[in-house]
Amino acid sequence: MKKQFNPERSRGAKPKVAFFDFTDCEGCQLQFANMGQALLEVAGLVDIVNFREIMSEEGQDYEIAFIEGSITTDKDVTRVKKIREKANVLVALGACATIGGVNGIKNRAPLELAKERVYGKKSDTINTINTMPVHKVVKVDYFIHGCPAYIPEIITVIKCLLMGRPYVLPNYAVCTECKMNENVCRYEKDQECLGPVTRAGCNSWCVNNGNRCYGCRGLVDNPAADGQKDILLKYGLKLEEILQHFTLYNDSMGEKYDQAFK
Amino acid sequence: MKYASIKKEDLNIWLEYLSGRARLYAPRKKENLFVFRPVKDISEIALKYIPTILPPKKYYFPQKEKLFKFKIRPFKTAKAIKEFEDFILFAVHTCDIAGIQCLDVIFRESPEDPNYLNRKEKMIIIGIECLEYCDKHANCTSMGNHVPRGGYDLMLVDIGEKFILHINSEKGEKLIRGLTYIKEANDADMLSLERVREAKKKIFKEELNGSLAKIYETFDRHFASPIWQDVGRRCVACGNCTSVCPTCYCFDTSDEMKLSLNEGMRYRIWNSCQMEDYAKVAGGEDFRKGRDSRQRHRYYRKFKYPVDKFNRYFCTGCGRCTRTCMAEISLIETVNSLLAAESGTPERPSASGVAERGEAK
Ligand code: SF4
Ligand code: SF4
Ligand code: SF4
Ligand code: SF4
Repeated sequence: MKKQFNPERSRGAKPKVAFFDFTDCEGCQLQFANMGQALLEVAGLVDIVNFREIMSEEGQDYEIAFIEGSITTDKDVTRVKKIREKANVLVALGACATIGGVNGIKNRAPLELAKERVYGKKSDTINTINTMPVHKVVKVDYFIHGCPAYIPEIITVIKCLLMGRPYVLPNYAVCTECKMNENVCRYEKDQECLGPVTRAGCNSWCVNNGNRCYGCRGLVDNPAADGQKDILLKYGLKLEEILQHFTLYNDSMGEKYDQAFK
Repeated sequence: MKYASIKKEDLNIWLEYLSGRARLYAPRKKENLFVFRPVKDISEIALKYIPTILPPKKYYFPQKEKLFKFKIRPFKTAKAIKEFEDFILFAVHTCDIAGIQCLDVIFRESPEDPNYLNRKEKMIIIGIECLEYCDKHANCTSMGNHVPRGGYDLMLVDIGEKFILHINSEKGEKLIRGLTYIKEANDADMLSLERVREAKKKIFKEELNGSLAKIYETFDRHFASPIWQDVGRRCVACGNCTSVCPTCYCFDTSDEMKLSLNEGMRYRIWNSCQMEDYAKVAGGEDFRKGRDSRQRHRYYRKFKYPVDKFNRYFCTGCGRCTRTCMAEISLIETVNSLLAAESGTPERPSASGVAERGEAK
C-alpha cells in the first residue's frame, strides 16, 4: 500500500521535493525559476533537494517527486518505477509528462524507421520504445499540463498537494476561459484554433497573446473530434493538416481523436 | 419632462459630464468586433456597433467574482467587497436591456443574490435604440426586443441632428437635470421620433417563422426531435454560446488559498450547461449525457422552462450565440426547423413529463 502524504507533517519539517528529468526540454522546470515572489514562498513550504537529473534515484531522501518529460526508453521505465516506489506523491509536470507531448511524433512511424532516421547506422545500439506519458507506466497523483506548464496552475497544484487535497483538472474547453477573457475568437477572423477540444486551465494563454491554441494541455475527456474536424475542414484545412494539429502534442493519446479519422 | 433632446454636437460634453458623475462603461471596437470597456477616451465610444462579445452582464455578474475572504485558524470570514461604486452603462442595446431584466428576475428570486442586488442599485442604464439590424443573426423582433420596453433609466434615439432622450426613471432624470444643452423635446422632435419608428417597421421583421406562443408549444412537443441530435453532432461543447448569452447565469464557486495555506478567498465563476461534467452528480451519474441533450437544454432554458416558471422568454434575440459558434449552429435555424417539423409532422408525445423530471432549473 502506498504511504499517504501527511499534510499536517508539513507544518513542522518541510517535505522534501525532488525533480527528475526524462525526455523533455527542461522548460517546465524553468517555469519554477520564473515564479518570482511565489518561488520564495514555495521555498518556505518545501525543501527542494534536487533540481536536476544528476541526482541518483535512490541516493537522496524525498517525499514529493516532480517528473518532467515523457518515457521513451526501457531505462526510463525502470527509473520512473523506482521513483514511484520511493515517493509518496508523484507529480507529472508539463505536456511531455502528462500527455507525451511533441515527443509523440516518434509514434507516427514504426520504431525501427524512427531509430534509423535519427541515429542512422548506429541505430541498433540504441534502445527506444514508443513515447508514453508518465501515467501509462506508474500512478500519477497530480497532473500539471501545458507546454510549458502555466505558473498559476503550478502554484495551485503545490497548494493542493501541501493541503493533501486532490487537484481537479478542468474538463472543459480552453474556449470557456477565452470567452471570459473576451478575446475575439480566431474563427471570427477566419483563423483556426484547437481551443474547442483542448482542456482549459491555462487561462487561454496563447490566444490572449495573439496565437492559436495548439492543444498543449491535451484534449478534454471526451473531445468532439469529429465536430472539430468538420469545423477545420470548413475553414479550409486539409485532412492531413488537421491530423497534424491534433497530433502536435497529443499523438501518444491517439485513441481520443482516432475515431474522427477512421 | 418625459422626453428630452440633445444636439449631436453636444453629446461629447454630456459624456464628459457623465464620466465625472460615475464610472462610465461603453462599447468600443476590438479588432473586428466590439466590447464594453471603461471609457478612457470619449472618442473611442462606438454608438453604432453589433452586440459586444460579452454582454454588459460582466459588470453586474462578473466572470470571476470575489465573494468573501476567510481564515482557517482562527476561523473567520469577511465580505470581499464592502462598497459597490456607482456606474453607468452607456449605449446599451434594447436586447441587452431585456437581458438585464431577465437576470433581475433570477437574482431577485428567493434567496436573493446580494452581490447582484448591490451592484444593480448602483447601476444606471442609458440605452440606445437600433434603427437598423446589427446583422443577420439577431432575432430581436420575434422576441419583441427591437424597441425599448422599459428597464432603462434613459434611452437615446437618433432622429438625425439630435438624439431624443426618453426619461424613464428618477436616476435618469438626475443625469440631465439643470443642463442647458438638454432641452425638453418639442413637437417637431416627437414627430421625428414617430417617423423613425415607422421607418423601423419596414426594416425589422419577425425572424422566427411563428409566434412566441407557437414556439413555446412546439418546444413542448419536440423534446425527442431528431433536430437535437443534429445540433449535438455538430456542437463541440466549447461553451461559447452560454458564455456570451445575456440570460445565462450559471456559476460555480471555488476556494483559493493563499500560499500561507491559512487564508483564502471564495470566488464565484461562470459555469455552463455545455460543459461535460455540468450535470454529473456523486456516483458518476450524468443527467445530461451527450452534447445533444446539453444543447437541447440550452434552448429549453430560453424558450420553455423560464416561460413555465416566470412567464418570460429568456432569449433576448441578441444573436450572440449564433455569432460566436464556430460550428455555425444558428438559433434562428434551429427554432425554424422545429417550427417546420411542427407544421409538417403529426403530433408527437408531449415533452412536459420528461422535462419536469429530468431537466430541473
Ligand atoms: S480563439 Fe480559440 S480558444 Fe478562443 S474561443 Fe475561439 S476557438 Fe476557442
Ligand atoms: S492556449 Fe492551448 S496551446 Fe496555449 S497554453 Fe493553453 S492549452 Fe496550451
Ligand atoms: S458555441 Fe456552438 S459549438 Fe460551442 S457549445 Fe455552443 S453550440 Fe456548441
Ligand atoms: S439565446 Fe442566443 S440570441 Fe438568445 S439571448 Fe442568448 S445569446 Fe442572445
